[in-house]
Amino acid sequence: MIGDSSGRPVEILLIEDNPADVRLTQEALIEGKVLNNLTVANDGVEGLAVLRREGKHANVARPDIIFLDLNLPKKDGREVLMEIKQDDSLRRIPVVVLTTSRAEQDLLRTYDLHVNCYIVKPVDLDQFVTVVQSIEDFWFTVVKLPPA
Amino acid sequence: MNLDATGAGTLAATSGPGAARQNEEWFQLLLTNVIDYAIFVIDPDGAISSWNAGAERMMGYRADEILGKPFHILFIPDLESFNKFIREMKVAAEVGHAEDEGWRIRRDGSRFWANSVLTALRGDDGTLIGYGKVMRDLTERKHAEETLAQKNEELARSNRELEQFAYVASHDLQEPLRMVASYVQLLAKRYQGTLSKEADEFIGYAVDGATRMQQLINDLLMFSRVGTRGVELRPVSMEATLNTVISGLQILIRETGATITHDPLPTVCGDPTQLGQLLQNLIGNAVKFRGPEAPHVHITATREGEDWRFSVRDNGIGIDPQYHDRIFVIFQRLHARGEYQGTGIGLAVCKKIVERHGGKIWVDSSVGNGTTFNFTLPGERAR
Repeated sequence: MIGDSSGRPVEILLIEDNPADVRLTQEALIEGKVLNNLTVANDGVEGLAVLRREGKHANVARPDIIFLDLNLPKKDGREVLMEIKQDDSLRRIPVVVLTTSRAEQDLLRTYDLHVNCYIVKPVDLDQFVTVVQSIEDFWFTVVKLPPA
Repeated sequence: MNLDATGAGTLAATSGPGAARQNEEWFQLLLTNVIDYAIFVIDPDGAISSWNAGAERMMGYRADEILGKPFHILFIPDLESFNKFIREMKVAAEVGHAEDEGWRIRRDGSRFWANSVLTALRGDDGTLIGYGKVMRDLTERKHAEETLAQKNEELARSNRELEQFAYVASHDLQEPLRMVASYVQLLAKRYQGTLSKEADEFIGYAVDGATRMQQLINDLLMFSRVGTRGVELRPVSMEATLNTVISGLQILIRETGATITHDPLPTVCGDPTQLGQLLQNLIGNAVKFRGPEAPHVHITATREGEDWRFSVRDNGIGIDPQYHDRIFVIFQRLHARGEYQGTGIGLAVCKKIVERHGGKIWVDSSVGNGTTFNFTLPGERAR
């Protein structure tokens, strides 16, 4: 397992309301080769609270990457994305939208809101694991990210 | 009475007092007996001062019942229609005449849609002596227009609903499906070998079912988008489109040893993405339903008036003529799943694409003699 260049585990924030989906992402991350800490927020409001370290989230580490679902309760993924990209202190964190939606309107809208990449979750488990691992590979071994 | 160039009537003698009287009597007779148009006169104060047979037929009042009555008896009793008529009188007084359409009321209270022209009537010295009104009953046309507008609205709504359905299909239906497929696979992964051989087989069927369901949903989505998401038709080189399709099918072509050839192909008027899809589906089918020999697909085009007829001919297994209509129906398949993969949507999409372009698609084939799919598309200048 590798962490980032300093050897610390990478911090991943997953904003996803479906526990079955959360579990699948965990399973995929376990099989990956990047050492990571996963924080889960179950809706859009909680996701933003974690990012802004509000209330009980005061001690949460700043994420290195955000995995965002589009259809979320309370505040949906598009709104969350818009707020992140309008926030000077958050906008440099890469946001990966992970969704089942192939709708063109979602795709265009999400890129218009400056998402870093849009990924349609494959139905097949092995493919999903491969996708999650390539996200890790790409963002933590290929890409040079700005300092936090 | 005659009508001057502005349409404003002038009550005047034409030649000598006797002739004028004669003229007027004939004209009166004519007006009185016209039955398809209501023709009546309103004096400057708004009282009805003449009434013809057409007016009686259209509105139900006899002349003796309505003469001297205020005109607004014919209007829907609200301020808006009253003001509208006052405006109409003003316009007629200023420019000679005014046209209007609106609901009016018959003697029995029922409504009809009237088109009317109000003409200012002036004496020799130019003083306003009243208004002539010519009215047509256009209720049937109005109803037809309303029915059409309503149908259009229904159609627009049903299109919006279809869009919404397509969205739900692309997202909300995929989500639970993914869960079923993924967790069955996770079970398989975790417990492979510790379960019976039969359990592995069951898991295989479950995963296969979920994967196929997803394919169906995606295909259905694509099908529904042919009509709603297409771009405006523009000149498309079928030769370039075919080359793109062939390079996209390289793997299939290599694996099956297929040869794809074509005559020179024209430029047509169409949606490039959809025409690519059309060729891809037809060539894909030709290769998929191949016979004992390596597949050979040949594409030709011939001019037919303003249109082009394209033919995609193969040396495959062929299609029994009794199924020629069925193959274009969505989800119709002729083969068991074990023989050939597929959701049975490809040719339905082809048909929808061709029809969206104003063309026809049909098949010539029999078992063992290969298949030729023909379709027509409008030529480049047909836009």
